[in-house]
Amino acid sequence: MTSAGIPYEHAVEAWRAAAPAPPRSLDVPAADVLAAHHPDHQAHGTTTLRVGANAGDRCPSVLADLLESASLVDDVDIAGTAVADTDVVVVGGGGAGCAAALTAADQGARVLVLNKLRLGDSNTVMAEGGIQAAVAPEDSLQRHFADTVRAGHLAGSRDLVAAMVHDGPDVIRWLIQLGVTFDTVAGDAGEVLMARGRAGGTTVPRILSCRDHTGLEIMRSLREAVALHPGIVVRDHAPVVELLTDTHGRCTGAVVVDLVSNAVQLVRANAVLLTTGGAGRLYVGSFPSSNHYGATADGLVLAYRAGARLVDVDSFQYHPTGLAWPSALVGQLITEAARGAGALLVNGHGERFVDEVAPRDVVAAAMLREMADGRAVERDGQVGLLLDVPSLVADQPEILTDRLVTLAKLAARAGVDPTAEPLMVRPTLHYQNGGVVIDEHGATGVAGLWCAGEVAGGIHGRNRVMGNALLDILAFGRRAGRAAAHAAGERIRRPVGLHHLQQWQRGLVDAGLPLDRRAPLLFPPESNVTPDDVMARCR
Amino acid sequence: MTHIGGSPRLLTALDTLVGVDLDAWLAGPGGAALTAAVADPAAAREAVRLADLRGMGGAAFPTARKWDAVAAATVPAGERWVIANGNEDEPGTFKDRVLLEHAPHLIIEGALAAAACCGAANVVLYVNPRHAGVEAAIAEAVAQWRDHHLLDELERVLGEPVRLRVHASSGLYVGGEDTAAIASVEGGFPFPRRKPPYPTTHGVEGMPTVVNNVETLAQAAVLLRLGAPAYRDLGVGEASGTRLYSLSGDVIRPGLYELPSGTSLRSLVFDHGGGMLADRSFKAVFTGGPSNTLLATDGLDVALDPDSVVAAGSRLGTGAMIVISEGTSITRKVAEYIDFFAGASCGPCPPCRTGTHQLSQILHRIDTGHGTPADLDTLRSLTALLPGSGNCGLVDAAATVVASALERFPHEFERQVHHR
Repeated sequence: MTSAGIPYEHAVEAWRAAAPAPPRSLDVPAADVLAAHHPDHQAHGTTTLRVGANAGDRCPSVLADLLESASLVDDVDIAGTAVADTDVVVVGGGGAGCAAALTAADQGARVLVLNKLRLGDSNTVMAEGGIQAAVAPEDSLQRHFADTVRAGHLAGSRDLVAAMVHDGPDVIRWLIQLGVTFDTVAGDAGEVLMARGRAGGTTVPRILSCRDHTGLEIMRSLREAVALHPGIVVRDHAPVVELLTDTHGRCTGAVVVDLVSNAVQLVRANAVLLTTGGAGRLYVGSFPSSNHYGATADGLVLAYRAGARLVDVDSFQYHPTGLAWPSALVGQLITEAARGAGALLVNGHGERFVDEVAPRDVVAAAMLREMADGRAVERDGQVGLLLDVPSLVADQPEILTDRLVTLAKLAARAGVDPTAEPLMVRPTLHYQNGGVVIDEHGATGVAGLWCAGEVAGGIHGRNRVMGNALLDILAFGRRAGRAAAHAAGERIRRPVGLHHLQQWQRGLVDAGLPLDRRAPLLFPPESNVTPDDVMARCR
Repeated sequence: MTHIGGSPRLLTALDTLVGVDLDAWLAGPGGAALTAAVADPAAAREAVRLADLRGMGGAAFPTARKWDAVAAATVPAGERWVIANGNEDEPGTFKDRVLLEHAPHLIIEGALAAAACCGAANVVLYVNPRHAGVEAAIAEAVAQWRDHHLLDELERVLGEPVRLRVHASSGLYVGGEDTAAIASVEGGFPFPRRKPPYPTTHGVEGMPTVVNNVETLAQAAVLLRLGAPAYRDLGVGEASGTRLYSLSGDVIRPGLYELPSGTSLRSLVFDHGGGMLADRSFKAVFTGGPSNTLLATDGLDVALDPDSVVAAGSRLGTGAMIVISEGTSITRKVAEYIDFFAGASCGPCPPCRTGTHQLSQILHRIDTGHGTPADLDTLRSLTALLPGSGNCGLVDAAATVVASALERFPHEFERQVHHR
């Protein structure tokens, strides 16, 4: 995919000669760049799903292997295992899971949060730039709606986008009440206003931030609120390996593996809420990933096997500015806020090649074009483009201490002086645009099963705007939490079983797929821990 | 959509699964059975006897004995009844609803032939309204027979016009018991009552009544068309005719299979059902209800006809076979089925009402990891105490399934109560 680039030393010379106002080159229509270079548009590495609700759809092969896999448990393995009862089970305690748990518990439901890793260990903490919400006088829900739908290439569900943008201001109010400290600026009359940044592809500055670690700050507040809520029980190191279903195919609970005691446990609930995040650690297309350790598509696998429909599973977001050098830090993100503030991207000839604040997919595709055509930069075998931070600092001397603090730390770890030397960056697998089909309340097609956060799809279409991920997880986390608590109000104890597996196995046999490829994956490929290893420890 | 397979195909032949199109039915195999029955009712009854047709609703009672009993009654045709029982509700059985929806004229013709043979002018198609589309299909099919010349022939035999109507059952499981079906047709709640007296002498309004499962009537129509010798030859060995097997559970190709009566369980599961799911080995099968003794691996070569299955210690029942693999828990399946029986118990007989509930509670406890060894003792006591204590066979069925599972798979139960 990448051919060798221009040696770093030559590239830096070219950059120095042209900065701070390098020439623009190669203005090609965005649609053409996307078609020729964006991974979503390439057939390579994809396959057609043969089993399940999306049979016939294209899907990256690495994901298809997991979606079309066999269960880690047999009915006979779990028969007679003690069943613990609760009202709502939340699978995955990232931002969406915590928002859902808090909302459900506030409605009076008993909530159990199951974490594969630990509470808050999630992609939410990786979100740097900020959160979108239409709170400014010159902004409106309608503009936020239009920006989101347009950036998603009109593929997103209008109902879901409307629900999300509608909740924006209330989500911000809720976060402030929970203790999130957003950045502020002084207004003309000395009043305190929320500081707002501009996301690529949007028409109004709408990004609210906590410097460049917004997700971390939000997660900090959510974690504290969850830990203090008397209605929520949190269990860490307890991944869900299968959903429980009754004879009608309704989801009635979850099969849990306790990684500390190596025991299989069953939890029965009136509502199961998957907030398991995305699939970045599958390294789709062999891209480096910005995602945290747990992003192995577990929720997609569980929901799909239980009969839920997915949407846009072939569409991923490649963040334009993951670090490309040094190799130990490849994939570490530099926030889009850097480009929003004015940082330019240049190729090995010292030329700009794209509007840096175009939508992410366009910027990433343009970078991949430079890499494919030999105009990128090569250093120690790594290939990328240059992000001109020094010119930004020259223009805004306080920016590394006031706003882009994570960038400064990252540069220090890379051994780069960001005031003097550009950073080498490249498109990095960042976000799963699609996911489980949900309605405005997070309900899936499977009764008893809700989804929220990155595991759900249909909101961002085929490209997500910066800052909408944090809003999405909180808006739909709260909506799904409310709906799940409402369903749990029935307090009916339904039978538990693995009834969905029979039809599933028939599908695998019919399609000639192997029965010994098991999922969810639980841990990424580099962990060298297979799900079979995990189950073997429990026997 | 139920997968339909097997061979030879009589009940499930393409020219028989014509839906509510009477012209299509009569252009194909339709009409021959009723013509034969009205031509010589006594000979037709004799053919049914020679063909050894048995009830397909679960009890495998010889059909000819019911027909002969009602035919021998002294009351006029207007006071004799034929009920085509299509109430079907138990887990794993799905043959009647397929016939009713896709071959309604086969059933109607069988019921009219029964009416001719028994001299009964009242024919009731008793169907379960919970089966989507069935009630409407059968009503439309009945309407198409109006003024058909074969009904004139039938009137000549009966001495009065036949009254053919559809009666929607309560949809409840107990409503499939024959005395309960009679109570329902009389307009009451479908409570089963003690037998004897039997419906053939004391049926609807106390009058002689034949209650036949709809597949039985469909088989009767086929055998009257083919003649008893040809029909008998369809079976394997001593068995007669074909049967509909409702195959479900851990098999690759579940569905409705019409096969020669006496086909082995092994052939049904492995030749027709595609074999076991996910390469698991065969563990057991819940037969016909699931209200009978389980068949385990030593039962794989049992011929699936009523007498052979009884000889193997179980019963064929409705022909439903719920197959269980080594990957599936027997205790969970039993708990599910007993849940069904407890929910279906209609109330008047206290041992059934509370006994099935107790069984269900204990099994549920064991299934969810909260059972104790004392629970197993209680289960064993209940399965000894309960049989025979109800007006119908519901409580017997529940006790039989539990006792059989405990006997065949004690280790699964014991592992679960000790596994704390």
